[in-house]
Formats: sequence, structure tokens, C-alpha cells
Amino acid sequence: MTNKKITVRIQRFNPDTDQKPYLQDFEVELAQGMTILDALHLIKEDLDGSVTFRRSCRHAICGSCAMNVNGQNMLVCETPLREKIDKNGQITIRPLPYLPIIKDLVVDRSSFWAQYQRVKPWLIPPDNVPEKEFRMSAEEVAALNDAEHCIMCGACYSACQVIALNKQYIGPHALLKAFLRVLDPRDADPRARLDDLDKGDGVYRCHTIFNCIDACPKGLNPTKAIETLRKLAMKRQAFEAARKERQKTLDKPVN
Amino acid sequence: MNKSANVITHDVIVVGAGLAGTWAAMIASREGVTDVGVLSKLHPLRSHSGAAQGGIAGALNNVRPVPDTGPRGPLEQIPPGDDLIDSWELHMFDTIKGSDWLGDQDAIEIMVKDAIDIVYTYEHMGCVFSRTPDGRIAQRRFGGHSAPRANYAADWTGHVLLHTTHEQALKNGVKFYSEWVALDLIVEDNVCKGVIAMEMQTGQLVTMRAKAVMFGTGGYGRAWKITSNAIANTGDGVAIVYNAGVPLMDMEFVQFHPTGLYQHGILMSEACRGEGGYLRNKDGDRFMEKYAPDKMELAPRDLVSRSEQTEIDEGRGIGDDGQGIYLDMTHLGREKILERLPQVRDIALNFVGVDIIDDLCPIQPTAHYSMGGIPANANGQVIANAAGDPVVGLYAAGECACISVHGANRLGTNSLLDASVFGRRSGYAIAEFIKGGAALPEIEGDHLTRTQARITRLKSDPASGKGENWAKIARELKQTMTDDCGIFRSDEGLRRALQKVKELQGRFANAHVMDKSNRFNTDVLGAIETENLLTFSEVIVSSALARTESRGAHSRTDHTKRDDEDWLKHTMAHKTDDGTPELSYKGVNIDWEKYPPQERKY
Repeated sequence: MTNKKITVRIQRFNPDTDQKPYLQDFEVELAQGMTILDALHLIKEDLDGSVTFRRSCRHAICGSCAMNVNGQNMLVCETPLREKIDKNGQITIRPLPYLPIIKDLVVDRSSFWAQYQRVKPWLIPPDNVPEKEFRMSAEEVAALNDAEHCIMCGACYSACQVIALNKQYIGPHALLKAFLRVLDPRDADPRARLDDLDKGDGVYRCHTIFNCIDACPKGLNPTKAIETLRKLAMKRQAFEAARKERQKTLDKPVN
Repeated sequence: MNKSANVITHDVIVVGAGLAGTWAAMIASREGVTDVGVLSKLHPLRSHSGAAQGGIAGALNNVRPVPDTGPRGPLEQIPPGDDLIDSWELHMFDTIKGSDWLGDQDAIEIMVKDAIDIVYTYEHMGCVFSRTPDGRIAQRRFGGHSAPRANYAADWTGHVLLHTTHEQALKNGVKFYSEWVALDLIVEDNVCKGVIAMEMQTGQLVTMRAKAVMFGTGGYGRAWKITSNAIANTGDGVAIVYNAGVPLMDMEFVQFHPTGLYQHGILMSEACRGEGGYLRNKDGDRFMEKYAPDKMELAPRDLVSRSEQTEIDEGRGIGDDGQGIYLDMTHLGREKILERLPQVRDIALNFVGVDIIDDLCPIQPTAHYSMGGIPANANGQVIANAAGDPVVGLYAAGECACISVHGANRLGTNSLLDASVFGRRSGYAIAEFIKGGAALPEIEGDHLTRTQARITRLKSDPASGKGENWAKIARELKQTMTDDCGIFRSDEGLRRALQKVKELQGRFANAHVMDKSNRFNTDVLGAIETENLLTFSEVIVSSALARTESRGAHSRTDHTKRDDEDWLKHTMAHKTDDGTPELSYKGVNIDWEKYPPQERKY
């Protein structure tokens, strides 16, 4: 059986030498089980070593390899090449949109990380820390599961139409992180977080276009988290009081 | 931080931003050493600690087997006031036995005692662990552990620990150099003085001077074709340290994980078996009955991988090439899999098109964990020789280090523990060293020029007909290590491997890159990583060839027994002037009263 030949179109751009980005075609034999990342490696190692992209774990947990394939953001390591070939036998790979390009498929995520830091992603623990673990119920853990699972790949961020126009917006990834801390019964200062999140560039900037949900390779729902944060911001006093009450029993069995 | 042309100075430089490096940086900064810089080849959150799945070990005594259901019965939370089933002593014995008695028992004792505190510390820092019904941290079984002590967050435990630790380091104001690659270590007269590093975005080389340097650069599984390791896990730190004249220890001990995804090598967590999964050969038999009748699928990894390979070699493997085995989780039920193994389910779906809820998953042994590495004591202090003399100002922890707590074979969930505990201890030791008045050492030689020359050589146009693509050399190395330095080894195969590695080292002298640019040059990086693979692979093969016994993950078909008489000792490999390793040996710390060597049966 001879393997089918396909065309991989890669957006190239080295700001030191190129006027503007351009597409370059590479021909690759489609092998069984090949991912898009496998194709990129073949091209880099055998055809053109200057093709530049990020990758590491190659099983969708490190978050390095988010790119734009045929117009959609995804992790190329977990996406079978076969699934993304169009009727002309082509696939087009571009860097994540709306971010400055460092080289080829490598983008500058500085604004993305700045927003992540801005929400103070670390837990603010209560004053009284038990000798053993804080007790949490299965329901409390389940509520945090999605946010906990975010791999910070940037697929949602670069799919967000608000981010495209306004890098001051905190963005879906950082709001999901904020959600993780606000909803965590161990966090001692959800009030301060909510006060910050409902300022101008916070939760109300989201236009509920749902691009982040479509783009997320982990199937997470930042829009829903943002909606929850809005609701909590509206009743923040009651929420703060409930949190204070809950923190009194954090060292006790949950049932 | 102090910066002039091509020189950056910090009190402390940490290389690697996985759990070990981040813990060290976080603790040192918290202890008042504010000038800490962390270099990472990748963005810190891309580090491979985040790929660990099943759990972190610690004898918390939160769960036990339901009484009268036997050692493999279902688990329940231990009611308050009931007898405890686990202890650090039991954890210690399991780790020693798992190590095939090559682990240093003083270091193991420190690790298992610290385990309990470090798991609670993670919880207090915000890790969202899975829970028992009454809200304690959930625990599951893992191979070689005689109690359920794998503390877990679904099957993304490493991800949760890594993100949480990174957040804490940010909170402490640690400075991260993201996508900066360490290329060389500067050691002069046994004093560590800094590193030569490359900023990926500009390609610029910089001398980074420091009073203390700490390595947490991870493992070296990328020397094999089938591996669970990230593409970045090229053992750079191990190679760099060795090139600087520091020895490497126990490099021949490389663990093959029993359940890598067939033909991909991607990790399918041991939690699959911890939660009750079976291994079956092509006839559908649970073959572990033959090899470990008591522990079955939850025997330690070295034993299970050897059992799989034996089944495969005797013609009972599955798949086109007969190199696979089935992992059977179809009896666990949808609910349990979705709750506790969501990530591995997605991996099997995406990469081999199998839904583990309904179907058998093809797996095979995969190069997974490097027990050997940079020799260090329990404070992370790197040692220069078998006598234990320190390399002043140099520290190491995590997978790149050999403390040695895993000896000849690591138990699952002890790696997140090792990286955390000894990363933290390194942080304290470094803080003490700096606050004790450590001076910034002057650098004598011109290290940067030498490193720059290597890169210039790679970028130069090769003499006609002589140049070679580094990627081809890397592929041949991986094939060789797989064929002749894998699960089973022999004198004949290892000699063949050694010859091949030397041939490839020779060919690398003419290897070149296609990308001649300075900006984000991953072609140059790939070539340098390949050079690193070639450097330490020679040490692995030489150490394995010398060790004429079978112990833990080092299994010789021509010397099938453990030989305590001659080989109950650590291998130390120094680089000699002609580049070949010189082997010497170091005693193992053993408490002969409490934990003398025994036959290792499961």
C-alpha cells in the first residue's frame, strides 16, 4: 500500500528577515496514526530545519502546541492529521491569531501571562491552617474540576473576539483561574478577587460569543465560569459571609 | 539581578522549572534570598512534572481495604479512631524493596517522613485533590506499595502540583527566564560559578553568574524510541554537569513503565491498574499470575515490564508487530473511569481510537524514569566523588539527581514525592549557604567563547559530502538504545551499543543545522539536545556493560541474578580527558539491623 501524499501549508515569518508572513507548502506522506505534530516534526527534521514551533509533552497536558489549523485553534499533538485534510489534500497551519509572532508558529504570549498573574492565581489561605488537610466535599471539588484542568495553552485566549480588540481584558483563561480561586472554599479573600474582577476589563467585557468554548481542547467552559463570577459579584457580600461561615468548619468532616 | 553585556548575575540560579526547581526557588525566596533566577527551556508550566498522573506517595492513613475483602478488595475511608494501616516505616520498607536494596536508606527515611507533611503542604497551598466521603485527601493503590498511599487529583496529579507550586513561586517574586536554555555549567577547581545560557528569542549567549546553582532539569528517557517522556526530556542537565567534570551516578538504571500507549509510548497511568485494571496477553490470559502471584498487576514496574516483554518475546504479544499487550479496564465501569481516569481515557481515544470503558487498550513498555543522575546528598548538595566531597555551590534535585532514593527501581508516586521533598530541602540548604555569606566566585576561563564556537560550528556549511542531519543521528541512537540497552541487556548487545554510540558521536562532529538564523532557533536546540543524548548514553551503556548482575530495572540475560557480594554499590562515572567515562563505585547506605538485603519477591 502506498501512502497518500498531502500538502501541509505552514505560515512562515521571521521578523528579522521577512516583510510579512507567507504560506509555504510541504509535501508529506500520510502514515497511519500520524498527528499534525508528527507531520511538523517530519518537515522540520527532513525538509526544512528552520520551520519553528513549540511542543513538548505530545499528549495534551503541557499546553505548548496550540496553533490554528484550517482556521480553528487546537493542540496539534493530539489531532490526527487525517481528520484535518481538506478535499484538495491540504491542511493549513498558522500561529494562534491576534498575538505577536516571534517566529513562524511561535507566538508571544506575554499579555496572556500578564493577565494570568494579574488575577493572583495563588490561593490565599485562611489564618487557621489545620495540622492535616482542609476538608472539602466531593461537590466542592467537582465544582473546581474544570478550572483545575486548564492547561494554559492559550487556545481560548486567541480565539476570543474581545481579546482581539482589547488586550486589557483579563481574558477567558485568567477568569477561569480566578473562578478556581473564588469558588475554592479554602480561599480567604474571594471578596477582594470579585472586587477586582468586576472592574472595567473584567467579567463584564465578555460578550458571550462562546469562541472560548469552541476553542478549548479540554472541553472546558470559560463562558459559564465568567457568568458565575458575574452573579457572585452581584451578591458578593452574602458570598463573603457564606465563605467566612464555611471556613469555620474547614477542619471538620464534611458529612 | 545585575546585568551587563552578556553577563547576568543572581545570588541563586535554578535551571529547570519543574517541581524540584520551583520548590527550591520558592523556598529560597521565602527564606529571604530574594535574588533568585529560574531558567527554563520551556515556559515553566510546560515542564514534564505536569504530566505525572497517578498520585504522590504519603502515608496519610485516609483509606484502607474494606475489612475481610483481602489485600485487593475495595477501599473505604478509615473511620475516626480505628486502627491505622500505614506508616512511614512501611513506606520506607516498600521503597527499599522496590529499589532492590540499591537505594540509600538514610535518604529514603528522610523522604518518606517528609512525605506526609509535603502532601498536606500542597493541600494548604491550594491543590485540589480528590476526596474521601468525609473530605480527606483520596488515596489509591500503586505498584509495590503495601498500602493505598497514592494521594491523587483524578489522573492529573502532577499538573495540579506543578501549577500550584509555580503560582507560589510567582507570589514570592521569583524571576523566571522562560525559554532560556542552559548550555554549559561553569565549575572551576571544584567550585560552581554559573552557567552559559542561550535566550531562545534572540539566540544570544549569556554568562549567568551565581553564588549557588541548582539543577532540576529532569530525566533522560528521550534516548529511547518508545518513551513516555516529553520531547524536551533530553537529559540536558545530566550531560552538562558531566561535561563540567562532575560524575554521574547509577546511570544504567532506567525504568520502563509497563503501560505506555502502544506504538506511541505515551503514559497510561499506573492508576489504571491501581484502580483494578488487568494486563492480558493475546490469549486473554492475566499472565502476571505467573510472575507475581501475590501482587499481580500491582507488582513494581521493573517486574511487570519484564513480564510483558517476556510474553512479547515468546510470541504472546498483540498488534501488527506483536510488541503490544492489552490493558483491560472494561470491568471498572463508566462511572469510575470518568471520575478517576478521565485523562487516560482521552489519551486512548485520541491516539489509538479505543474507549477504555468498553474495549481493551493496546499498550507496551515505555522508557519512563531515570533513576540515575547527578549524585547529591539529602540536602541536594552535589558531590564530586565517592567520598562525598561537595562541589561547592552546586545543587540538584528531582529526576536529574541521584540522591539515591530509588536505587535500581523507583516505585510509582515516589517521583513527585522525591522532586518535591528534595527540591524543598535544596531550597533550604541554598538559603543557608547564601545567608552564611557565600561570595560570588570570579570566573577564570572564557567559557562563553567555547560554547559559542560549538554553535558556530553547527551553523557553518559542512565540507561537501561530509555534512549530516542531526535528526538522523538522534534516530539511530534511539533505535540502538531500544534494541541493545532496553529492558533486557547482554554483554554482546551492550558492546554493540557502545560501538554504535561512539560511531554516532564521531558523526556528530560533522552534524549541521539547516536554520542559520539567531531568532528562536529550535534547529540549533535540537542539535545540542542530540549531542547531550550522545554524551550521557555512552555513560549509560558503559555502566550497564560493567554491571554484571541483574538488579531492579537493570536486567542482564547473561547475569540473571542479583549479586550483593560484588555489586551492592553505586556506579560513579567521571568523564576523562579523552571523553570516555571512568567508572568507580560508592557504597550504599544500609541499616543492616533493620533493612538488610532480602530476596525480592512479590
